[in-house]
Amino acid sequence: MKLCWVTHSKTKNLTLSFAQMQEIIRRFAMKLMASGLFVLAVTLPSIAQAQELAASEPTSWWVWLVSLFLFTFCLGMVAVVAGVGGGVLFVPIVSSFFPFHLDFVRGAGLLVALSGALSAGPLLLRKGLANLKLALSMALMGSLSSIAGAAVGLSLPTNVVQISLGVTIIFIVAIMLMAKKSDYPEVKKPDALGQALHIHGIYYEESIKEDIPWQVHRTPVGIFLFLVIGFMAGMFGLGAGWANVPVFNLVLGAPLKLSVATSVFVLSINDTAAAWVYLHKGAVLPLIAVPSIAGMMLGTRIGVKLLAKAQIKSVRWIVIILLFLAGTRALLKGLGI
Amino acid sequence: MNEKTKPSAVQLAYADILSKVTLLGMVFLGLGLFIYVFELRPSMVSAATVSEHWHMRASEYTQHLQTPNGWDWIEHIFYSDILSYASIIFLSMGTIGCLIVTTFAFFKEKDRIYTAISIAQVLILLLAASGIVGGGH
Repeated sequence: MKLCWVTHSKTKNLTLSFAQMQEIIRRFAMKLMASGLFVLAVTLPSIAQAQELAASEPTSWWVWLVSLFLFTFCLGMVAVVAGVGGGVLFVPIVSSFFPFHLDFVRGAGLLVALSGALSAGPLLLRKGLANLKLALSMALMGSLSSIAGAAVGLSLPTNVVQISLGVTIIFIVAIMLMAKKSDYPEVKKPDALGQALHIHGIYYEESIKEDIPWQVHRTPVGIFLFLVIGFMAGMFGLGAGWANVPVFNLVLGAPLKLSVATSVFVLSINDTAAAWVYLHKGAVLPLIAVPSIAGMMLGTRIGVKLLAKAQIKSVRWIVIILLFLAGTRALLKGLGI
Repeated sequence: MNEKTKPSAVQLAYADILSKVTLLGMVFLGLGLFIYVFELRPSMVSAATVSEHWHMRASEYTQHLQTPNGWDWIEHIFYSDILSYASIIFLSMGTIGCLIVTTFAFFKEKDRIYTAISIAQVLILLLAASGIVGGGH
C-alpha cells in the first residue's frame, strides 16, 4: 500500500510504503520513551524539591494533576518494556516525589494495578493464556489477607509503613535481580489438593506452535504464599505480579506465560478486596487516582507496541535502579533522615 | 487453537463481562474527572481544598473536611467530586460482577467445587465492599 504526500510549496511527491510509515512511527515512539525515561530521571529531583517547597509555596493543584498524568504515562511505557508491573513502580516513586500522603498513594496504587489487570484480562482469558481455576484457587486466601493487610496498613503509623515499604521495595529489587524463570517447569506428579481442585490444563504456545499440557504441585505451599503476598499487596498498595509470577512458576510449576497471565487475575481479585478498605477509609482521592489510572493505561498501551523493538535489558536496568532509589528514599523518609 | 486448548465457556463468559465493565468503567472515570476538574457541577470539596490537605493522613483528612463515610456518599451523588468518586466505585464493582456471572456459569456446568469457591470469593468481596471489615472511621 502506498501513500502519496504532495506538499503545497513543492511539486515533488513523497511516496512512502506502509512499512516505512510504521517504522517512522516506531522510531518516534522509541524516542518518546527515551525522552520519558530522561524526563523521569531529570525531573524527579525537581519534583522532590517542589514537594518540599509545596508547604510554603502552594503549587496549583492542576499542575500536580498534569504532572502526575505525564509521570504515570512515562512510567506505564517503561513498566511494560521492563516487564515490571505498573503498581510496583507507582507507590514507591510517587510517594517519594509527590506531595500526597502515603495513604492516598497506596489507595491510588491499588486502583492503578487493578485497572491494568482489568484491561489486560479479557484478551488473556480469550487466548487461553490465563487459567481461571488456577487463579480462583489462589485468590480466595489472597483476597482475605489483602483486606487484613489494607486495614493494618492504614492503622499503622506512617513512618512504620514507610520503613516497611522501603525494605519491601529493596527486597523486590533483589528478587528481580536474582529470580530465575522456567519457561516449562517439569511437574512429575500433581499433589492431592491440586488434583482435587482440577488445577491442570493445556494451552497453545504460539512461539513454538505447540500445545503445552500443564499441572501443578505444592498447592498448599502456594496457597500459603498467596496469603502472605495478599497481605503485603493490601498493606502497601502494590500490585503483586512481582511475587505471584515466581510462586506460580517456580513453586507451583506452572509454565511461565500461564503464570504471568494468571497472575493478572489474582491481582484483580486481591486488589479489588484491598481497594474497598481504602475506599471506605477515605484513602482514595479521584484527583490522584484517576489521572494515575489514565496515564498508566495509556503509557502501557504505547509500551506494548514498543516491546518488540525496545532494548529490554537496558530499560530493565534503569527501572531496577529507579526502584532501588525510590525504596531507599522511602526507607530514609521513614527513619526521618 | 484447537478444541483441547480452547478456553472454557466459563472463562469466555468472564472475559465478555470483564471487557464491557472495564470499557464502561474507563468512560465513567474520564467523564467523572472532567466534570469535577472543570467544575461543571458544584463540588463538596473543591480541587483546590483537596490539594491543601492531601499531605494529611486519610483519617485526619476525612475528619478535617467531613467527607462522606462508607456508603454515605450516595446521598451526595450529584456533587462533581462524589460523581468522580462513584466512577471509581463502579470500576471496583467490576470484579464482583464478573465473579457472580462465573458462579452461575460453574453452577450450570455442575462444577460444585468451583461454584463453592466462586460464591466464597463473591462473599469476601461483598464483605469488603460493605465496609463491615476495616471500613469507615
